[in-house]
Amino acid sequence: MTRLRNRWYKRTAVRFALCLLALALFIWSLRWSEFDLVLLFGAAPRLAEFFSRLVPPDWSVTTLVLKSTIETMMITVAGTFLAVVVSIPLGFLAASNVSPAWISHPVRWILGVIRSVPLIVVALIFVAAVGLGPFPGLLAITFHSIGMLSKFYAEEFETAEEGIINAVRGTGASWLQTLRFGLIPQCVPQMVFFTIYRFEMNFRDAAVLGLVGAGGIGYYIQLYVRGFQYEKVAVLLLVIIIVVTLLDQLTYWVRRLVR
Amino acid sequence: MTLLGDNLLPVVELEAVHVLFDNTCALDIERLSIAQAERVFVLGRSGSGKTTLSRIIKGRLAPSTGKATVLQSLLHKQSTDRSGAHTRRIAMIDQEFYLIPRLSVIDNILSGCLGRVSTWKSIFDWYPECELEKAEGILREVDLDGLGDRRVETLSGGQRQRTAIARALMQEADIILADEPISNLDPELAEDALELLIDCVLRRSVTLIVNLHQPALARRFASRIIGLSKGEVVYDGIPEDFTEEAAKFLYQANGNGDTVIKMSVNTGAVSPGS
Repeated sequence: MTRLRNRWYKRTAVRFALCLLALALFIWSLRWSEFDLVLLFGAAPRLAEFFSRLVPPDWSVTTLVLKSTIETMMITVAGTFLAVVVSIPLGFLAASNVSPAWISHPVRWILGVIRSVPLIVVALIFVAAVGLGPFPGLLAITFHSIGMLSKFYAEEFETAEEGIINAVRGTGASWLQTLRFGLIPQCVPQMVFFTIYRFEMNFRDAAVLGLVGAGGIGYYIQLYVRGFQYEKVAVLLLVIIIVVTLLDQLTYWVRRLVR
Repeated sequence: MTLLGDNLLPVVELEAVHVLFDNTCALDIERLSIAQAERVFVLGRSGSGKTTLSRIIKGRLAPSTGKATVLQSLLHKQSTDRSGAHTRRIAMIDQEFYLIPRLSVIDNILSGCLGRVSTWKSIFDWYPECELEKAEGILREVDLDGLGDRRVETLSGGQRQRTAIARALMQEADIILADEPISNLDPELAEDALELLIDCVLRRSVTLIVNLHQPALARRFASRIIGLSKGEVVYDGIPEDFTEEAAKFLYQANGNGDTVIKMSVNTGAVSPGS
């Protein structure tokens, strides 16, 4: 009995210490970010004013907003497609159960580098390289997605049952056939899930990219917000909320379909 | 009941084959020869070298020393034949089946012919007409009629077992290696599955090598029984001579048990090459 009781004291002490540590970190980070409740509540009237100026929405910009939303959507679709096409082979190269270490390790490192470049920096580089418009946006979305999708695919490939892969190889299947029948069927549901998840993220990312001149709805967001034309911002927000909700529903249906 | 008939080619020949894992001997076979169309059942406790032997024959493992010739390909330390052409000629039925769970029964059976069809066409699930017909025929042969479009993950254990057998048959291999193929089934299903496998094998001139834990079933279905203990062949002969007593000795744990069997069975057993 005493042994178990002592165990409880020890465990609880450790948990308590960990909680204190987390709390300390939290408070420290709040101070660093100049968190100020007084300032927040003091800003309430200004926030209220902002929201009151959203109504009535200025519907005259609806066509313009819809057009740019479609542009953002198309950047998202094309960018995600391109990223998937590049990420599947890259995923094979990065998966330690498919490729030897001298290939998978460097590929992983490169993917890490790609992921660590902030999207906005990628977009600025491509805008500088190919000029303003949706094209640099598409390139930025593609480049940024590859870093994450390839890593997810590779990790999914690595969870595949080795015995099934060996069984397919054992029929005399070629390397490509072994991947196609031994590996891919095991990974399809998770791959679809990751891809759709990335697609949703890409839409939100693409919506922001217009801020740096890379096409789509973002351009109008910065134009109207900076111009204090909140009645037009209202239309923008409404359209984005509707599109994101529809995407959520679509995701749900696709995930139910692929199992 | 041929034990290495004179007119039949040996499909497996092992000479002084040793396999070492971390300096312990996993397999130590002086001479072993298996002829075409034999039904060899390999018995022995877990860790007696059964799986090691089948991995050598499949070409997944190279012997540490010695010479293993399988289907006229020499497999030794310097050259294991891992080419698709060789692999294809040896079909494997594993204890865990290792079917592709999200694909249908018929797609799993069809995967047996991957080694002899065009890579690019098969990637898009396109198979030649004759292969499709073969797959349909095998589906009927293993009694899975009407289940062809069902996903394997929705099947029962017995149905999965028959799918695994069907895939091995589809491969049209010269040797079918079954590593404890029925350990995951209840006794009655196990017997049915083994009977089905034997029936299918008898319709073809394929060599069957089965690793098993049930001496009674081995006696019923084998044309030859090999007993392994600590990596050594301690029994090799026709099932009629494999007595209850020999089986009991084979599955006993004590250290000097294997020498006892060796002596007791050598009187009745025919060992190949002698």
